[in-house]
Amino acid sequence: MIDAPRGRATAHSLPAAVAILAAATGFAATLWCWSQGGGVLDLPWAASLDIRLRFELDGLGALYTLLATGVALPVFVYAARYLPAHLAQQRRPASHAPRFYGLLVLFMVSMAGLAMAQDMVALFVFWDLTAVASYFLIAYDRHEDSARWAALMALLVTGVSAVLLLIGALVLYAEYGTFSVPELFERAQPGGTLTLAGGLIAVAAVAKSAQVPLHFWLPRAMAAPTPVSAYLHSAAMVAAGVLLLGRLYPLIEPSALLRDGLLVVGGASIAVGGVIALTRDEMKQLLAYSTFSQYGYVVFLYGLGGAKAAVAAAFYVISHALAKSALFLTAGAVTQATGSKKLSEVGGLARDLPLLAAASAAAVAAIVALPLTVGFFADELFFAAALERGPWAAALAVAAAGLTFAYLGRFWIAIFLGPPTPSGRVPAAMLVPVAALGACLVATGLWPEPVASLAAAAGEASVRAPTSAAVAYHLDARSENLMALATWSIGLTLLALPALWRAPAGAVARLGTRVGPERLYAAGLRRVNRLSDRVHDLEVRDLRARVAAVLVPAGALVALGVLATPTAGSYRVGEIAARDAALVLMLALACVAAVAATLQNHHLTLTLVLATLGFALAGVYAFFGAPDVALVAVVVETLLALLLFGVLALIPAQVLRREAEIRTRGSRRWRDPLIGVVSGLFAFVLAWGALSRPSPERSVAAEHIELAPDAHAKDVVTAILADFRGLDTLGEVTVVAVALIGVVALLRRGRLW
Amino acid sequence: MSLLVQGLARLLLAPILMVAFAVLVKGYADVGDGFAAGAIASLAILLQYIAFGREQTERTLAIRLLPAAAFVGLLSALAITAAPLASGDPLLTHTPGAGTEPIHLGTLELIGAFAFDIAVFLLVLGATLGIIHAIAREAERVEGIEPR
Repeated sequence: MIDAPRGRATAHSLPAAVAILAAATGFAATLWCWSQGGGVLDLPWAASLDIRLRFELDGLGALYTLLATGVALPVFVYAARYLPAHLAQQRRPASHAPRFYGLLVLFMVSMAGLAMAQDMVALFVFWDLTAVASYFLIAYDRHEDSARWAALMALLVTGVSAVLLLIGALVLYAEYGTFSVPELFERAQPGGTLTLAGGLIAVAAVAKSAQVPLHFWLPRAMAAPTPVSAYLHSAAMVAAGVLLLGRLYPLIEPSALLRDGLLVVGGASIAVGGVIALTRDEMKQLLAYSTFSQYGYVVFLYGLGGAKAAVAAAFYVISHALAKSALFLTAGAVTQATGSKKLSEVGGLARDLPLLAAASAAAVAAIVALPLTVGFFADELFFAAALERGPWAAALAVAAAGLTFAYLGRFWIAIFLGPPTPSGRVPAAMLVPVAALGACLVATGLWPEPVASLAAAAGEASVRAPTSAAVAYHLDARSENLMALATWSIGLTLLALPALWRAPAGAVARLGTRVGPERLYAAGLRRVNRLSDRVHDLEVRDLRARVAAVLVPAGALVALGVLATPTAGSYRVGEIAARDAALVLMLALACVAAVAATLQNHHLTLTLVLATLGFALAGVYAFFGAPDVALVAVVVETLLALLLFGVLALIPAQVLRREAEIRTRGSRRWRDPLIGVVSGLFAFVLAWGALSRPSPERSVAAEHIELAPDAHAKDVVTAILADFRGLDTLGEVTVVAVALIGVVALLRRGRLW
Repeated sequence: MSLLVQGLARLLLAPILMVAFAVLVKGYADVGDGFAAGAIASLAILLQYIAFGREQTERTLAIRLLPAAAFVGLLSALAITAAPLASGDPLLTHTPGAGTEPIHLGTLELIGAFAFDIAVFLLVLGATLGIIHAIAREAERVEGIEPR
């Protein structure tokens, strides 16, 4: 409907081409490498912390990397057509486009890295990278409140739970002494520690896969542009959760508690997602609820346990990724054609968009397990695994699949059948990816061996034992076939008799918005914000308050320490020899200047008094035998005093005069001096106590002096600054550079030159 | 500004810079280091600003671009810090190693830490001059007068 102006072509086409090329190359490289039997890449990272960058292209890694790059390919092609129209519609410049592709590629790469990582810390890093990429992608329409809110929610829910993954990794490290995933599998023994770590990891995974009760971020994330939704829901982000379950399955599976927990969470997600999806009118919303319902299947499968379930889970992920990305792209194309986002506002598009109708029919068929699509086998394996567990699991599986049938059937029928709505043209570049995905689903439905072998290899990586996935069509009355038949009839019944479910499903959806975890999240966020505001107000109301905010806690802590330490003999008054007269004189001058500084109101005098204080301290250093420090102190004090004069010259004289006449009033008149005197007193006591202690026999300073000749230095202080503790110096001089930027930017109102 | 101050400033410029240079190169044998040297050198130039005003100082000394030295210094300090990584050593490893004689240039010993000190010198000098320049410019703008 909307075509991008021609002039914007280059800003879009080059980054898009690069992204598409990256996806295609990644896919081809992974495919080639996998056909050669996989491989291991092991690089040192932080050897002293036992952290390595270890990547392995095993079955699971191959599966998710192929998905991440393979689904990226049609999505990026689609985005290349979608984004110009999207930006034009929002009146945004084409220069916003490259960032989009860059973030998509980052998303893809971090997902691939996550799929192949074999080190807990590397896993965690890539895990967070996917969250970062998704944050920026969801908030890509950053002028919209809802997009920013959704992005923050996704980041907080998945990012905070990611910390649990790190804690789990650290717990495992403390127990077994390794971050390496394969070594962990060898060493891990079932028990309390493993259950704890596995539980933490499982929570992180479940939050990422948007399972109940941490599901609420996913429907919100629909604020993202369509290609992002399509990618995020099918092959990245949400898939990362079940990838983690598969990757670390040997740490989770031994615990029956965790398996049952996964069963409950997966089952609840299937039910909640499915029921709410039935009631949704907005296309992308329906698909979002469908997504976490579908991932509920996978989590449920992992909860069932055993090799069969692990293979079925992997198989399910493949078929779902292909189908769900096709459905999202369909929704985007329909919106493009009709300008409408709601099911109730479209209909009868099958006549105008037959290709889209056929392709998305294949996708729907795949998810609802109709034969001739790969989804049939996915559900066959799902049913078989459920059957193995028992009749109740099988019944649940059938009910779940029936529910899925109903809402996806409703989705497709509402769009493509019924009275036609007027529709515009959809560019071929937006149809072809959907068609390609649909064709892929049918092709793998007719020839499922490649998918089956990949899923078997992935299952093998999960359960660390040989597995197989024999899938084929059987025209007999075996239980899987009967269960599929039952599914279809339940689904058709639900579709035909909406009166059956409309009222209860609507009630569930309303209940969810009223008391669901999203409200808890919003309330928690509000509380934390308010607390932060209050602390902020308290601290930065004015300069005095800020100083007090440092002095009061510091003084209180020092006071606690001083009062809790036994004092007998720890405060000594040394002797003052005649040669120390100059030193004492300088110290006295410093004291006088310090007291005088508190009594001055006039700015110029104050500057001079402070400079006097600085010079007096420089004199103290000089007489104390620290010429290096004294030199720097004198030079810096001079510079600072002169610069302070220069800055004072910038302020109009009458302002300075007025400021000088301000007197503190009321309670602050006594409070601020009190804070200063009391905290100063404790600092004095602390310093006195420290100086009263005899210096230890072998101090760091002695070591430095000993090492100086080896560092070719005759001046120990310089050797310390530039060599022994050069890293400190680097940090300090960086502060100098930052100060330059700050001063110049302030004086020149934001410009640097 | 009085003739006396101007004359003194002109007279003192070269000696102060010389002192700064000496403090820099003798850092490893005697009192002082790159930081002090940078501060001393910028004091020398600050004196010119006070005596002759911003425009004349920047014109005659051609120091308009010197503030950029801060970033040259920062980048070289980072590079020198990271350089040992290339040969697999930890950050800021001392070169040449203990026991080996460094290259001598007169009595000056060329060691890795000296390069780091020069970077610090550049950074401090550039940063201070940048701040002086910014304040002086702003003072002209505020008072709407010719350079003092």
